[in-house]
Amino acid sequence: MLDTSTNLEQTVINGVRFNAEAGQRPVHVDGCITVPALFRERCKTLGPRTVHREKDLGIWKSYSWDDYWNHAKWIGMALRKLGLKRGEAVSILSEDRREWAYFDMGIQAVGGIASGIYTTDSAKQLSYLVNNSDSRFLIVEDEEQLDKYLQVEDELPGLLNVIILEDEGLHELEHHRCMMISDLYEIGKQADAEEPGAFEAEIEKAKPEDTAILVYTSGTTGMPKGAMISNENIMAAIEAGARRLQCLETDNQLCFLPLCHILERDVSIYFPLAGKSVVNFAESPETVFNNLQEVSPNTFTAVPRVWEKIYSQVLILAQEATPLGRWAYHRAIKAGMARAAYMVENKPVPAMVELRFKLWDRLALRNLRRMLGLDKMRRGGTGAAPISPELLKWFWAIGVPLVEGYGMTETAGLATINTRGDNRIGTIGTPIPGYEVRIAEDGEIQTKGLNNFQGYWRNNEKTAETYTDDGWLRTGDVGRIDDDGYVTITGRLKDIIITAGGKNITPAEIESRLKFSHYISDAVIIGDRRKFLTALIMIDQENVEKYAQDQKVPFSNFASLCAAKEVKDLIKGEVEAVNKEFARVEQIKDFRLIDVLLTAEDEELTATMKLKRSYVEKAHAHLIEEMY
Amino acid sequence: MSEPILKIRNVESFYGPIMAIRGVSLDVHQGRIVSILGANGAGKTTLMKTVSGVMDPEKGKVIFEGREIQGQEPHKIVHDGVVHVPEGREVFPLLTVDENLSLGAYTRNDKAGIEEDREMVFSYFPILKERRKQEAGTLSGGQQQMLAIGRGLMGRPKVMLLDEPSLGLSPLLVQEIFAILKRLNEEQNMTMMLVEQNASAALNLAHDGYVMEVGRIVMDGTAEELLKSEDIQNFYLGVQEEGPREQRRWKRRKTWR
Repeated sequence: MLDTSTNLEQTVINGVRFNAEAGQRPVHVDGCITVPALFRERCKTLGPRTVHREKDLGIWKSYSWDDYWNHAKWIGMALRKLGLKRGEAVSILSEDRREWAYFDMGIQAVGGIASGIYTTDSAKQLSYLVNNSDSRFLIVEDEEQLDKYLQVEDELPGLLNVIILEDEGLHELEHHRCMMISDLYEIGKQADAEEPGAFEAEIEKAKPEDTAILVYTSGTTGMPKGAMISNENIMAAIEAGARRLQCLETDNQLCFLPLCHILERDVSIYFPLAGKSVVNFAESPETVFNNLQEVSPNTFTAVPRVWEKIYSQVLILAQEATPLGRWAYHRAIKAGMARAAYMVENKPVPAMVELRFKLWDRLALRNLRRMLGLDKMRRGGTGAAPISPELLKWFWAIGVPLVEGYGMTETAGLATINTRGDNRIGTIGTPIPGYEVRIAEDGEIQTKGLNNFQGYWRNNEKTAETYTDDGWLRTGDVGRIDDDGYVTITGRLKDIIITAGGKNITPAEIESRLKFSHYISDAVIIGDRRKFLTALIMIDQENVEKYAQDQKVPFSNFASLCAAKEVKDLIKGEVEAVNKEFARVEQIKDFRLIDVLLTAEDEELTATMKLKRSYVEKAHAHLIEEMY
Repeated sequence: MSEPILKIRNVESFYGPIMAIRGVSLDVHQGRIVSILGANGAGKTTLMKTVSGVMDPEKGKVIFEGREIQGQEPHKIVHDGVVHVPEGREVFPLLTVDENLSLGAYTRNDKAGIEEDREMVFSYFPILKERRKQEAGTLSGGQQQMLAIGRGLMGRPKVMLLDEPSLGLSPLLVQEIFAILKRLNEEQNMTMMLVEQNASAALNLAHDGYVMEVGRIVMDGTAEELLKSEDIQNFYLGVQEEGPREQRRWKRRKTWR
């Protein structure tokens, strides 16, 4: 819906018109107030320009805004013809690929609600998510995902059709509900020919308050809940993103986190609708580092694990370099750190410091960045989990400005953020423009603004629990705001541990400190109603393996690595170092290593590879009992 | 169990800049057959070559009977009692069967013992006796493999390293050769380290097994344990998982548990 009657004053940011004042209703992006309207406006004006790039048989291929428009139109028209009504959901079970964006836009354009499902979810979870969202259609990527559906098809009476994106190995498939994407396009083309203009008419019907997407929250306790994100929520996120995260038409970015997750969805589908940047799809989560080198993006948003991996890679390279190379690396990092110290404090860099950095940049850092695919990077972003301040500084030191932000599904992905010029390491930044953040009496961070979600799909009880009586969103995180408005998170409200001695402890604070160690990938603190605290620790396989090899510690597989005394001592040292920073009641008295190599398929891990407290406590109860 | 006769500790070997084995540790106990499984390029052959001294490891130790032997000359290692039967039955094609066998005993000078062993080899591989004057290059593939194993035995080894003895042989011959290897193990108490792609044959013969992937060991256990593992069944033994469709092409991700 185009809203031309507005009398809100407009301003231009990087070539895109927004409301002059952020957080005003209705949110305008180049005159559009809904996502489908903005999508149409962009396709119309940008036509043959590239919007997506994807690798096909090893070669990067470009796809235009025209492709985006046509495919989304065919999808929307076909689903409508097959029986999708406005306000009904469609589930997408696929890895990141351009069709993901086509479906997201096609579904929304005809008033449907797009709901993503992680490819690592089991058939049982698929059944729950399709039924809970009352999905009418299910999009599956390939035969592996299709088989999940076939296992539970009897439990899904509400589904009209299943659409398959890749036909490899499925040529002989005959199933009354399944069809290939090419068939869907044909239906769509026909429907469009029969009813020209109907697709545009559907786009016109969209209203800011319409639910655009469902995002299921990983839910560390209980079943996942579908967060309803409206058009207005997304437009508000786009507006905030444009003001804080500069996006240029000439930008290339790399998409690899699951699009089911609100962070990647914002960054790779919605923000580019405003910013007109090009989105490159990584081949798979395993090839991210290669794809990063090939694409060398201008902006890159990732989770701390990925940044840690990059750092470890460099560390290993430096260790194995020639003595001269090692010396140069250390000198260069030193020069970079000196400069970074000023930059992260938002202070001007003295000329001498800058000059020394420039020299070392020429000699070493520039090559390093080129090798990693970070040479064109204007800004790196990190979120979804806490990141170590030392790691952030290191990236600034090598010339990659890396900023941390905070948001959750319920805030449409964004709440607070640091920026290049306005950065305080160790905090999650200041609230996005037009957004309010307060700290409640019990320390909980609460927020208010247009990007706060509409509520949980068919779950008024949980929705009511999430909002305060005066309409603020309860984030469930505990933290503080300093005098300049920077927010710091200290833990999760729900996870607060009360020891047998009656002390309140926020485990997240200790857990994040542990995670900052290169050898620890995640940890769970145990101690509720117990005499003292203990920890279950998941080691970082690569770095610990490297350590074991360097120290000549024999091991064969992962379990024997975890069992090695030297490895236990190494982690013990890390735990003791962390203990020093905490009060007596917060000391970790004992720990156990999780000696199973967990994968995203395991219930103990979220899709972003974080340990889920309740599952971990259950699955490793024997380890916990050993310690008490 | 007693101290292993052969211990490999954190071995890393390179082909130029490429790290082929990345920190491998494993044990071979006296009188046991240890099988190493893995796909192409996993580093199995490199591991064998590192043990037998054909390649020198960048890091790590190979300990045979309590002594470090990594980096030693191959002939010294043969003399110590570790014999390598290479992949692709590399016999000397222009020499006769007898001459090939004599070369296997190159490091020895106890004439009587050598002749005794020659008879022992002929007792296990009677066909070699029939062809003893024939040039090795004119033997069939299976016979060449037998000759390669027999030549290895002539060094009177304490440990035999067998690199893909089933390569390119008919199923019947594979059965025959594996039966002989089993007899050698039982009757001569021969310790063996066996690299195989034919996982089913190898695990049925071996007592213990290790699985290698891209230069690392990802799983180990007794042969029975490995045979029960779902990952081994799926990826090495060709067992199809039950699925809702008949023609399933995808495989689940390996977890090595």
